[in-house]
This record gives sequence, C-alpha cells and structure tokens, in this order.
Amino acid sequence: MISARLVNSNSLRRSDRWLGLALVTPAVILLLSLVAYPLGRIFYDSFFSLRLTDQAPGIFIGFENYLYALEDRDVRSAFFVTLALTLITVPGALVLGLLLALAGNINFRWRWPIRLALLLPWVLPMSFTGMIFAWFFHSDYGVVNDLLRRFGYQPVAFLLSPGWAFFTVAVAVTWKTSSFVALILLPGLQTIPQSLYEAADLEGASRWQRFRHITLPLLMPAIVVALIFRTLSAVQTFDIPYAMTQGGPGQATQTLAMLVNTVSMEYLDIGYGSSLAVLLFLMSLIISLPYLKHLRRSV
Amino acid sequence: MSTTKFVPQFSARLLLWAILAIVLINGLFPVIWIFLTSLKTEVELAATPITWLPENASLANYQQAFSQQPLLLFLGNSLAIALLSALLALVISIGAAYAFARLALPKAGLLLVGLIALAMCPPATLQVPLFEMMRALGLLNTWLALILPNAVLSLPVCILVLVAFFKSLPESLEQAAMLDGCSRLGALWRIVLPLSLPGVITAGTLAFVNAWDEFLFALVLNAAPENRTLPVGILFYQGEFTFPWPLISAALIVGIVPLVVLIALSQQRLVGNLTAGGMKG
Repeated sequence: MISARLVNSNSLRRSDRWLGLALVTPAVILLLSLVAYPLGRIFYDSFFSLRLTDQAPGIFIGFENYLYALEDRDVRSAFFVTLALTLITVPGALVLGLLLALAGNINFRWRWPIRLALLLPWVLPMSFTGMIFAWFFHSDYGVVNDLLRRFGYQPVAFLLSPGWAFFTVAVAVTWKTSSFVALILLPGLQTIPQSLYEAADLEGASRWQRFRHITLPLLMPAIVVALIFRTLSAVQTFDIPYAMTQGGPGQATQTLAMLVNTVSMEYLDIGYGSSLAVLLFLMSLIISLPYLKHLRRSV
Repeated sequence: MSTTKFVPQFSARLLLWAILAIVLINGLFPVIWIFLTSLKTEVELAATPITWLPENASLANYQQAFSQQPLLLFLGNSLAIALLSALLALVISIGAAYAFARLALPKAGLLLVGLIALAMCPPATLQVPLFEMMRALGLLNTWLALILPNAVLSLPVCILVLVAFFKSLPESLEQAAMLDGCSRLGALWRIVLPLSLPGVITAGTLAFVNAWDEFLFALVLNAAPENRTLPVGILFYQGEFTFPWPLISAALIVGIVPLVVLIALSQQRLVGNLTAGGMKG
C-alpha cells in the first residue's frame, strides 16, 4: 500500500516536471527569439562594414567599428549626455520619489487624490511627458516663462540653448520617473512596524532622528531596487528627449539610445549602429548585474 | 494650557495640508495645464502675457484634433495593441510563473535570472534585428510586430509578480483539489488563478501600461498610417515649422483619459502590489 503510494507520487512528480517544462517553454522561446537572437545579431553585425545604402554584402572589419566609435565626436557627446542625465536624474528622482512616498504614507482621510497624483505621472507615456514639458518650457507661451516674468525675471529660451535644453529634459525625466520610485518605496514604508517609532518617541527622538535611524535603514532594500531600475531606465533614455527636443539643439540632448536609432535607421549604417548598440547593451548589463546577483540569491 | 497645545497641532495640520497640496500639484498640474491649454483657441494661446484659465473655453480643439488626424484610429490601435500585448504576456507568464512556483524545474533559479536578464536589455539595441526579423516574417507594419516585442519585454515583470502571488498560496489547496481528481492544470485554473486574481490584475496592468507607453518599436516597426499608435500618431499634428499646441493638447488629453480610467479601476490594488516584483521605470 505504502509502496504503491510512493510510486504514484514519484510518477506524479515526473509528470510535474514535464508539465513545468511545457509551461515554461513558450516564455523561453519568445525571449530567445525576440531578445537573445537580436542581441547575438548586433554582436555579429558590429564586426562588419554594413551599410544598406551600399547594396553590397558586409565586409568583415574586426573591431574597426569600435575603434571608430572611440574617436567619434557624436558618440562622445551622446555618451556624456547619457551619463550626465543618469547622474542627475537618478539621485533627483530618488530624492523626489522618497519625499512623495513619505507624503503618500501620511494618513489623510481621502487617499484617492494622493494615489491619483502618484500614479498619473507613472502611467503617463514618456513621449507624452516630453511634449507636455516642451510646452511648459516654451519660450513665448510656456507657463515657466510666464512665472519668471511675473516674478520680475527675464524669460529664458529654454529649448533653444544647449545647456537649458539639457536642463529641461533632465527636469522632465526626473518628474516622470520620481513617481515610479515613490511606488516602489511606498509599500516598503508601510511594512515598517509602528512599534519602532513608538519606542523612539519614548526615547525622545526627533523627527529627523526617527527618519535617519529607523525609516532610512529599513527602507534600504527597496531603495536599492528603485536605484537599479531607475539607473537602467536612465541609461536607456529615448522617448522624452525625442519628443521634447529631437536631441537638439545641435546634439545637446541626444542620448546613446537616440544615436543608435539615428545611425541605424536614418544613416542606415547597420554595422556601426550595431557596435553602438553593443556598447549600450554592455552599459545596461553592468548596471543590472547587482540586481541579477541579488535575484539569483533570493530565488 | 489649551492654547499651547493648540499651536503645535495647528502648525502640524498646516504642514499636512501644505504637503498634500505639493503632492497634488506635482502629480496633477502638468496634466491639468495641458487640459486648460486644450480648451483655449490658437489666438488666445498666442497672447502675451499668457492666460491661465481659458477665456472662451470650447471643445473645438477636440473636434479638430479628431478630424485633422485619425485620432480615434490611433486610440483604437493603442487600446487593441496594449490589450492584446497584456493578454499574451499574461497567458504565457501565468504558465511560466506556476512552473517556477510549484513544479520542479531543473536549474529554476538560473533560468529565471536568465529570462529577467534578457528582458532588461535596452529596446534601442533590438530595433534593427527586430526590424529585419519582422520584415522577413512579413509582419512589418502589422499589429503583431508591436504586440510580440511588447508582450515579451513585459514577460519577466509579470512572471516575478505572479511567482510571488502563487508562492503565497498554501500548496495544500491544490493537493486537495488533485486528490479530488483535478489535474494540475485544472487546479491552476480553478483554484490558484481565482485566488491570485489581484496578482493577475497587477501583472496585466503592468503589461498594459508598458505597451501603452511603448514608443520606439511603434516608431521603427510600423510605417503604416492605419496601424499607428497614439504616442507616435500625436507627432503627426506638427508640421515642419508649426506646432499646433491646442490640437496636440487635446490629443494628449484623449490619450490620458483611458489612463485615468485605468487608475480609477485598479488604484487600490496597484499601489500595494506593484513592488511584488520590480518593474520598469
């Protein structure tokens, strides 16, 4: 009787294993064909001189595309724009997002207006955000210049000067992504036990001390997750500057992802575009490694 | 005594209201401003100093936005593509997540991390190979060319969210169902899925929002006007040197309304569950 049961559960387990493989296979096939294969493809193409304008088959040129990229001014500019956007908007969105999360955690009687205010920027498409902020910062009819005038300052041609254009793109990216950070941090805040704060109150801790010694350390895991995802999306920035400035004026707001698009789809230089795509991929891989390691340990 | 107590309470309340106001202005003002713009005429917009509230509010811009570009078509395309992408992502990730949560997969941890790693790759790196692939398959300029990559890039997020939900359910529920003669898949369909409905809704919303936002693939993989999605379609209001902001604002509001409806339907679930498995920024 017992052995029959064992056999039964053994064969059940074996059928479970087959079922598991069958259930996972569609996801694996789709990711392999639509992500892994394209990645292999850009690695391969990056070693060729391959222009669709030439109509000729590609010529193997080794690392020449990469060597050229090192000297290319457009690449250098796009790299620094991407880097600067990352270094400015990631901390910016983390701080703003943390403040939003702290505010969202306050017990107001009506919670839905707060939820709407937190969720709306998050669901708003990036391209919409770019357009809205382009209108905000419009030289003549923008609300920002209107406020400047009302307070007695000179209006600024925000989108026409390279420095200001970069600044406005950074503002738009920070605004749009801070709600994502807030949504990651909010549940983390809600799991901090109230008893810790009560104990701190008994000890006579100040508001700042409570934040510094209770909230911040306990929120750290969520902050790290937000930091990694936010950095990853900053490196991939495309939609907001594309809709806001088309990368201009000049190349002041052209990111690496935009340059890959321009070189590949407009200049049709597939070989060189692929080598830039590989560089972009490596940048994002380096950033995602700590998260992947953490995930590997937790599953 | 009572006055000293009243002062800190009053200032604390004031602070609360100030925080509330800042959060609301930060989150809602850009959209409200676009809404106000959409009600103004081109003449009023070109006045300096600018007006904040529309002087002669009218819906004429909406009428013109719908007639100048096939806005309804863009809206329909976006809705259909986002819904189908979310559906495809859900169907595939429900199976995969169940396998990861309950069925003994060989090297499950490595496999899951590998899938996530693939999906974290920047969409911009995939555009050229995907373009060539879709052309070879004859899918270029079709809905499917957008649905497939949209769904695939949402898969890992959906899988993470669903694995967390499936794991939180006691395994004894399925075992009881299976002792009663239910198959594994039957138990998944009749017991596990209904109980993890909040997770399914969260995962579906994430996939829908990702697809609704998607811009790069819609720009590169589709050139057919009849299949244009909203984010790309809105670009077509602008001429070479003209930027009809009233029309663009009206079109933006048309694109934002479905999102507000989505938030209204799922806000309570969303705020708590989003983090169940990280997501896109």
